[in-house]
Amino acid sequence: MSDAGRFESLVLPWLDAAYNLARWLLRDEAAAEDVVQDAALRALRHLGSLRGEARPWFLAIVRNACFDHVQARRGRREQGGWEDEALEALQWQSGQAGADAASALQGTRERVQIDAAIRSLAPALREVVVLREIEGLDYAEIAQVAGLPIGTVMSRLARARTRLRELLEQAGVRP
Amino acid sequence: MDDEQLSSLIRRHATRHVAGVGLRSELRARIAIAAAAAAPAPTRRLAFAGWRAALAGFAAGVVVAGAGIALLPPLRGTSSLPAELVADHVRALGAGPLIEVASSDRHTVKPWFQGRIDYAPPVYDLKDEGFALIGGRIARVGGAPVATLAFRHGRHVVDVFVWPAQALQAERASQVRGFNVLHWSDASMQFWVVSDADAAELERFASAWRARAAAPR
Repeated sequence: MSDAGRFESLVLPWLDAAYNLARWLLRDEAAAEDVVQDAALRALRHLGSLRGEARPWFLAIVRNACFDHVQARRGRREQGGWEDEALEALQWQSGQAGADAASALQGTRERVQIDAAIRSLAPALREVVVLREIEGLDYAEIAQVAGLPIGTVMSRLARARTRLRELLEQAGVRP
Repeated sequence: MDDEQLSSLIRRHATRHVAGVGLRSELRARIAIAAAAAAPAPTRRLAFAGWRAALAGFAAGVVVAGAGIALLPPLRGTSSLPAELVADHVRALGAGPLIEVASSDRHTVKPWFQGRIDYAPPVYDLKDEGFALIGGRIARVGGAPVATLAFRHGRHVVDVFVWPAQALQAERASQVRGFNVLHWSDASMQFWVVSDADAAELERFASAWRARAAAPR
């Protein structure tokens, strides 16, 4: 089969997962689309190096492309990496983070609150939550995607869950 | 709230962002372009295969010529034709295949049509004018097989549907669901150009195409 054919059957089925991850990491629709496209073309070029499951392999490429994108954006702005986090925390406190148009339109109060809580997590925690809870990857797959030891994945997930629980309980979201 | 309850809340309520049609189709186009760029140049063996295809095409042409002529005229003047072409353009971008023969070499694309349709569409690469040939496919329009050429213009894909014409037709532009459609006929062929690129860009394509067709080679 040609590379394009293999790509179509192995990698394209995970395009939604890739976009979802990029969208959550970058929090920007246009940037997520650009990054996923570039990552997909990179995946096509390196298809020969694919061993084992295509999903974690492709998501690792997307994940790295997202972090590269964030680095480049920060470099251009000549700002420290904390600005975004500080802004995000501020938005959470003032309730502005919940006003994301897509969430507000489609959503229940739970959706708005839960999306905002996940969005407010630091990227390192946000990515494990998205991969585990939304995409349903297991610990070993998340370790492969994020390039981390499994133990680190588990401890980050635990930290992320503690933080999410606090935020959701504050917001009055019940299980 | 325990871990299980938290997971369940997230699974039920958190947004799972889904890749849009635009991303999917643009990606498919870029992959087709990458595949076309990577396609090997034609070799002697392929040239020989081309000959065999040509002979097969000639034989097939004799058989289907009657049916083709019967089918083609109803395509002309049908009010829903632009809509049908736009639908095929969208379907090819979304579900594929956008191109069945991937090549920027018109001497590869043109012979590929032999044996698949009963006419020989002109094929030009307008890369220097900003429209790079990426390949071709057979579309089915009104039940008839129609030669379709795909070009890349920046981040847009331009599809050109070509089939025989009975009369000259000056350029005519229309719009279907936000896609631009440009149509004209020369003495032998009619051309339907479909893309989400600007109408002015399609006019530029048409001018470049006609200039190339008129140029002595």
